[in-house]
Parts: sequence; structure tokens; C-alpha cells
Amino acid sequence: MRSTNPKPRTYRIVGPQRQIDERETPHPRVDRGELGEKLRSWRKTRMGVDPFRRVFGGGGSDENSYNSLYDIYKNLPEGKVNPNKIPVTDPARMARNIKEIARFFGADAVGITDLDQAYVYSHRARGNPASGEKNGDPIDLPHRYAICLGFESDYEKFLTNNSRISDAEYGLGNIHSLQPTFLLAAYIREMGYPARTHGYGRFEVNPIPLAVNAGLGELGRHGMLIHEDFGSRLHLAVVTTDLPLAVDKPVDIGVEEVCKYCMKCARTCPSHSISFGGKEIHNGVERYRINVDSCYKYRLAARGEWSNCVICVSTCCYNKPVAWWHTLAVKSIKWTPPSLRVLLIKPLLWIDDLFWGKRPWKRMKWLDYDNAPETNARICNIPGCNVKHANLQHKRLHTA
Amino acid sequence: MTYIITEPCIDVVDTGCIDVCPMDCIHGTDNDKMLYIDPEECIDCGGCVPACPANAIFPETEVPEQWKHYTQINADYFKGKK
Repeated sequence: MRSTNPKPRTYRIVGPQRQIDERETPHPRVDRGELGEKLRSWRKTRMGVDPFRRVFGGGGSDENSYNSLYDIYKNLPEGKVNPNKIPVTDPARMARNIKEIARFFGADAVGITDLDQAYVYSHRARGNPASGEKNGDPIDLPHRYAICLGFESDYEKFLTNNSRISDAEYGLGNIHSLQPTFLLAAYIREMGYPARTHGYGRFEVNPIPLAVNAGLGELGRHGMLIHEDFGSRLHLAVVTTDLPLAVDKPVDIGVEEVCKYCMKCARTCPSHSISFGGKEIHNGVERYRINVDSCYKYRLAARGEWSNCVICVSTCCYNKPVAWWHTLAVKSIKWTPPSLRVLLIKPLLWIDDLFWGKRPWKRMKWLDYDNAPETNARICNIPGCNVKHANLQHKRLHTA
Repeated sequence: MTYIITEPCIDVVDTGCIDVCPMDCIHGTDNDKMLYIDPEECIDCGGCVPACPANAIFPETEVPEQWKHYTQINADYFKGKK
């Protein structure tokens, strides 16, 4: 089943797509040691030494992971569907209600799309024993609709990118997505319709293309969703269901043209994982290529202090606080015909560099954390080495 | 996999690669004639390749035949130092 017209502009289906096996995705590969023993053992420690990181979890479980909310949630069984089905006569009205309920539960952005089976994983990598699921089980998800939920992270804290502060905010965002997603699926089941949560650590679907199809935003050069207000600082979760709903259409907020010229994420990515080039075809989809392996391995640069660098998220020119001038800039791009947008985008990118810098970054002191470059200066562990290692945050910018 | 610094680096030692290496895995001392990549730390991003004015850096699988032994030279440099 394909999404309704119009088609999203930021990725294009050009050939047959095979379903991806969840075991091919980065976390399971790291757990199997395919990206090196160092990464594997680091993940087993629940991703580091920081208490925040260990509370938010995400790494491998150990014998006592009950301090990690993620570990508790991911092992919850799915509830039963109420046998007393509430009839739905108007799917559009139900869609409006469901979106309002999702916002009430805590989602910051919500959209609905048809569940395209191309974005359902073929096999699961992380079984849930409470639901009788094992690793490697084939996934059968016949639901018709995908309700895509977005949860905003804090703009200021993300600007401290590549630090314990931004990483704590990132981890909290993952945790924030758990409860509303659980509540929404449970609400739908209590209405008498099957529903399943796909959230942090327990996805049976790839949320990004579904969110693009659901009109939450568009696909950026850095491989993530870009929302018109929140940029890429949205954590995504999905509830799939058979509840009759009206679907949303993909949006055009100018990402196709902006990503063509901006390159800010590619210039600032410390691990050179984001391409400066054009789109490439992979698995029948034409989109920008990401070097997932070097992106993932870069986590080791923090020496276990934090996990996610989020530089591309905070650098993206769509990543701005919610403000009238940001709305005005995005709306003017939206209202300009695509062929003329370059005339608007180039001056806007110049302004973006002028006010936020070529590498947006902010010093912040929070609790006992301080992300000042000098406090993070790298001490070389090779005896006698006297080359000048640049500090972690402020590597030289890359050019194509 | 890893990237390997080869012969053209000798006596050039530009250090442009060090500024871009995200893992700080390129090392050398004043007494060294070239720089070396720690194969255990390298994450294969390839960022150092365009930064090298001497075109001395290659992915492990693409090192030219005459410089193949530099794979071992790079690895040996870090033996006993960690």
C-alpha cells in the first residue's frame, strides 16, 4: 500500500524496496560486535559512566537494569483489545480526536499515514519475552495506519552539542516519548481496535519515512526528519492501528531546496558521515547517503562520557527556537515556487551563518557540567605524542 | 578496517589530518619522520584523506602495492605504547 498523493519531495521511490531486517540496523549490529569489540563492550555498560546515561538506558541490559526506565518499558507486554468496539462513522473526525488526544498525552507533533509495509521490519532484533517474542522472529504487522508522534527536545540544551548536557537532553527525549506512546496505543485498544507501540528501543517500523509521509516534516541531508518548527530535534514514535482514520498528506517546507545548498550538517559532522554530494539510490529509494558506521563509531570519541553528539541536529538551519522570525523565514520559503526558492534560500543561509555561526554551539554550565572546550581538551594517551589535537567540539570545518 | 599513512608523509608531516580527525587517533613525536594512525581507534570516516596535501593516506584495502608494508608500520608504532 503506497501513501496517498502528493508524493514526498525529499525522497523518491525508484525501484522495488525490500523490507529491512531489524537485525541489520546499527544497534543490533553493535551488540553482535560487527562494529568492533570496543563498541560492543561499551554498549554493554548501558552506554557509559554518567548516571543520566544509565538511567535513560539504551545499551545492553545487565543483571540489574531496573534503574533504566527504558529496560522496564521495553519489556512491558501489550494490553488486550477491548471486545466492545466503539463504531467509527467519520474517520476524519476520529483522526482529529486522536491527534488531540496524542497532544494531550504529551506529543508535540502528530500526523497519520497509511502503514506502508516497505517500512515494516521483516524480522525483529529485540524480542519482548513478556509478549512471547524472540529475537529473529518474523514480524507480521497487518495494521492499516501509522500514527506518527514527535517529541521536542530543548533547543538551548541541544546547542551544547557533543557534551553531557546535550546527551542528557537527548536521553530524556527518548524517555519522554515512552509514556504518551504507550497511553495512545492503550487508549485505542480500549476503544476496541488493535494498536501497537513503536518507540524507543522497540520499533517494528522505520519511523522516519512514515513521519515524512504523515506530513510531520521532510527528510534532510543528515537522514533525519526536519519539522518546520522544531527542525530535527524531534524524537519519533509510532502507534500502528486498524482504527479507521483519515490520513495526512506529505508537506513541502522547502527542505528539498534548502538541503541542496545549505550543507551545514555535512560541514560540521565531526565523523564526516554526511555527504556533500547528490542523492544516491539505496534499496529502491533515492535520498542522501549517510555513513552510518562512522557516525555510530564516533560515539567512542567521548570516551564513555556521553553517547550522542547531536551536532547535525543543532546545526541544521531549521533548528531554531519557536519564534515569529523563524516561522516567517520557513513560511516565505514554503510560499515561494520551488524554482525561485534559491533566491530566498541563499540570503537566508547567509543570515543563518551570520547570527548562529557556521557551527552553532553554546557554552553552558548546568549542574556540575560545563561544556567549555578547554575542560574537554583531550589528553593524548600515546607517550611522547606532541601533535596538537584539536578539542572535541571545535574540529576544523569540512569542505566538499 | 582502518586508514593507513604511507611513505609520502615522510618529511612532510603537514598535520592537517590531525585537525580533522574526530577520534584524535593520528599521533607522532618530534623524533618521528611521519605521522601514524592508531588502527584500534580509527573509525574509517576518511576525513583525513582530503586533508592530506601529500596524498599519503589510504583505506587499508586500497593501499598501493609498494606501500602495503605501511599497514604493519602504522600498527607497530602503537605496540607497547598503550
